[in-house]
Amino acid sequence: MLSPVQIILFTLIAAINPVERMTVHLFTHNVITMGLICGLIVGNPMLGLLVGATLQAYSLGMGSFGGSSIPQYEVACLIVVALAGSSGNVETTIALVGIPVAALTVQLDILARFLNSFWNSKLTKEVEGNCDPKVIYRWNLMGAFVFSATRWLPVLICLLVGPNLVTILGNVIPETVNIGLRCASRMMPAVGFAILLRYLPTKDNVQYLIIGFVLSAWLGMSTIGVTAIGVALALMAYKAYRNKEAVQEIRTALEDEGGNYDE
Amino acid sequence: MNKEKTGFTKKELNAISWRWTLYRCICFNYEKMEAQGYLVTMLPAINKLYGGNEEERKLACRVHNEFFNCETNLANLILGIDLAIEEEYGSEGLDMSRNVKTSLMGPLSGIGDTLFTSVIMVIFGSIAVTLALQGNLIGWVIWQIEILLETLWLRPWLIREAYKKGVDLAGNISGKLKALTDCGSILGLTVIGAMCATMVTVKFGSVAFEGFTFDFQTQFFDAIMPKAGSAMLVALCYWLLGKKVKAGNLIWIIIVASIVLAWLGIIVY
Repeated sequence: MLSPVQIILFTLIAAINPVERMTVHLFTHNVITMGLICGLIVGNPMLGLLVGATLQAYSLGMGSFGGSSIPQYEVACLIVVALAGSSGNVETTIALVGIPVAALTVQLDILARFLNSFWNSKLTKEVEGNCDPKVIYRWNLMGAFVFSATRWLPVLICLLVGPNLVTILGNVIPETVNIGLRCASRMMPAVGFAILLRYLPTKDNVQYLIIGFVLSAWLGMSTIGVTAIGVALALMAYKAYRNKEAVQEIRTALEDEGGNYDE
Repeated sequence: MNKEKTGFTKKELNAISWRWTLYRCICFNYEKMEAQGYLVTMLPAINKLYGGNEEERKLACRVHNEFFNCETNLANLILGIDLAIEEEYGSEGLDMSRNVKTSLMGPLSGIGDTLFTSVIMVIFGSIAVTLALQGNLIGWVIWQIEILLETLWLRPWLIREAYKKGVDLAGNISGKLKALTDCGSILGLTVIGAMCATMVTVKFGSVAFEGFTFDFQTQFFDAIMPKAGSAMLVALCYWLLGKKVKAGNLIWIIIVASIVLAWLGIIVY
């Protein structure tokens, strides 16, 4: 069972998190940090670390490109650590609660950004009118409260309903669905990677994807090893690019010479 | 028209960079995205440049309240160039400012997102996760240090460099940075390929007829290609996203499909 103090701490973190991830960016995407902090609150930092690292893997490389909303695995991490701490079964909690929570945070984020238009119109009115810096500043800050509320309110509700949630869900949901959810949690990173691949020039550079995959799947190379190979490949490409540039310059220079010569 | 140089000190530029970090996104909305953040960041600079002239100040505020969206780190380049322009040309440079902002925010977002999110974050993050799952915090510590360096050192440095080089920088940006981005993408893609193999798990089940069992996973897929399931899943997600399926929906699709397939025994845990 979570003590009131723990619930308050969790709610506070949930309130700070969206503001922090929009501004100083220190814990953003850093689900591991979130996991550690939450783990400390329940008195089990290793649990927090495990949950944090697992969920972090799902969110690697996902960014709010162009202001899009991405699943916030930090919030999912918070809920999972808070609830798993009392129910004990990490995998089940991640599957049953963590993934759906992360999917829901997308909707909440969209809601927050949508609501902020209200502050925007107030601020624009001020700019067109008096243009008092202090007032402009104030309207901008209001966004913080909106972002904050779309996190700590749901989190608080979730924590209060809480630990019973996992047990109830566990009893109510049939075993096959349970297994399905656990499989889903292992498949989640694929979504993150696919989103990422959409933003990179994948079509033209599939060969590098293949190299990385083969090194890992067939040879079992660790990530650091693959990174080193990746750096080597990138350097080769860069050198080829510079050579092409140099050739281009020489060609242009020769053409100019040729022109003058004819005269 | 050359105004008397007001001059931004290193301290002031650092402060502006920090303001950007603090306020850029706090009131993000779909109409103007980071416009308010840009305006609030520029407020002290606006006061300094146009302090005496109320009309110029209001005009500047209006121009900087226009749509803006750029990657966090590289936006400092735009800020620096902007400051240089306005310092040189005063309120008549606001049009040029606007042009620089609108023309650069797109490309810089592309470069910045690729470099910082797709490459740097993926590499540091994957190392941190791999080590953390073994109970080792070193990877995480290194990552945190990288994040701190980005926020506290890289951004102020970018804004100072852009301010010094001024308007010329806007031209140079296309050339060299494109090469760097492309090469960065190569690194990113290689690492992502590896992570698809390690972090995505899809295990196929077996089919049993009378006395005859055929285990798809070991006898079929593994024989051809290890981690075949992972590769197929990522390819499928990639294709679905290409068909304009939204990411949020894709997650629910995977969850539902996973439950169904597990129930049918096609996928096992």
